[in-house]
Amino acid sequence: MIKCHGIGVVDMFTEDELVRYERQIIIPGWGEQGQEKLKKAKVVVAGAGGLGSAILNYLAVAGVGSIRVIDGDTVELSNLNRQILHSEKDIGRKKVDSARDKLQSLNPHIEIEAIGEVITEDNVFEMVGDYLIVDALDNLPARYLLNRVAVQRELTLFHGAVYGFEGRATTIIPGKTPCIKCLYKDVLPGKIPVVGVIPAVIGCIQATEVIKYVVGIGELLINRLLIYDGLGQKFTEARLKQDPHCEECRLPRSFTIGDER
Amino acid sequence: MSVKVKIPSLLNKYANGQELLEVEGYSLIECTRNLVIQLPGLKRWLYDKQGELRPQVWFFINGERIYDDEFTKSLNDGDELFFLLASGGG
Repeated sequence: MIKCHGIGVVDMFTEDELVRYERQIIIPGWGEQGQEKLKKAKVVVAGAGGLGSAILNYLAVAGVGSIRVIDGDTVELSNLNRQILHSEKDIGRKKVDSARDKLQSLNPHIEIEAIGEVITEDNVFEMVGDYLIVDALDNLPARYLLNRVAVQRELTLFHGAVYGFEGRATTIIPGKTPCIKCLYKDVLPGKIPVVGVIPAVIGCIQATEVIKYVVGIGELLINRLLIYDGLGQKFTEARLKQDPHCEECRLPRSFTIGDER
Repeated sequence: MSVKVKIPSLLNKYANGQELLEVEGYSLIECTRNLVIQLPGLKRWLYDKQGELRPQVWFFINGERIYDDEFTKSLNDGDELFFLLASGGG
């Protein structure tokens, strides 16, 4: 049985909400119960860029009740080939403010919390809390920090990454699957090429994983890496396993009470 | 002994457009060494300046991720080797 964190208290649905979610409620295995689980769910999305744009849009319209968005950047013109949360009028604004406005207008029935700060060793535990974690980041050091919280608090982490016309996604359940530190020893240096459709595809896969996990249907990408090759227009799947020498999830952790780092 | 190597589309141009090719070698280390002799354009993507396999490359044998300590393990004839470059874009 997989531990399901991030579930709080729920209100009843309004008539409007039931109409809004009707098409997904009728999916076999979903029902009002599934919708209620989504409304109770608390999800933190780290990154409001290319991946974050797809993830946040679809989690919001699906009715995830509490969404926390973390991003310390402001919107730039060069973001707009892929970051469809933001528009030209948002250039210079904090990405999280632009994201909150867009998401709230898409679905006024959910709560959006915007944290416009860069993730650091000092704030990451507080920022994540006990939320389900979606990794929509663009750098490895911050991914390692998110991963540390996931591993130490046994929180599920939905990972995605892109490069050019290629992207990949996997779902990390600490103790059952490899963690980010098992998988990533380093990444390609330099400016990352990317065409907007690729983070859209990968972000949608991550959002699909979150929705299935919360509703409790389907098969997750557990110990499976789904690779999307946009040039060859192919999906490939590979099996993953923990790195027996991983310093984050395989070695015994020593920390004193009150200091999770 | 021959192993099938699948080239990621990102590096296709360094493999003269080939997606799958046969490489000789008894272990991953030998196969990658022979691969870059066959396709020298791949060398800088797979090896660093010190001649070590880059930590940014993920290797898969018959569809399963393998880590450093398995790189010298014996492979079987017809095994499939696949590699990916670790990228961090979001």
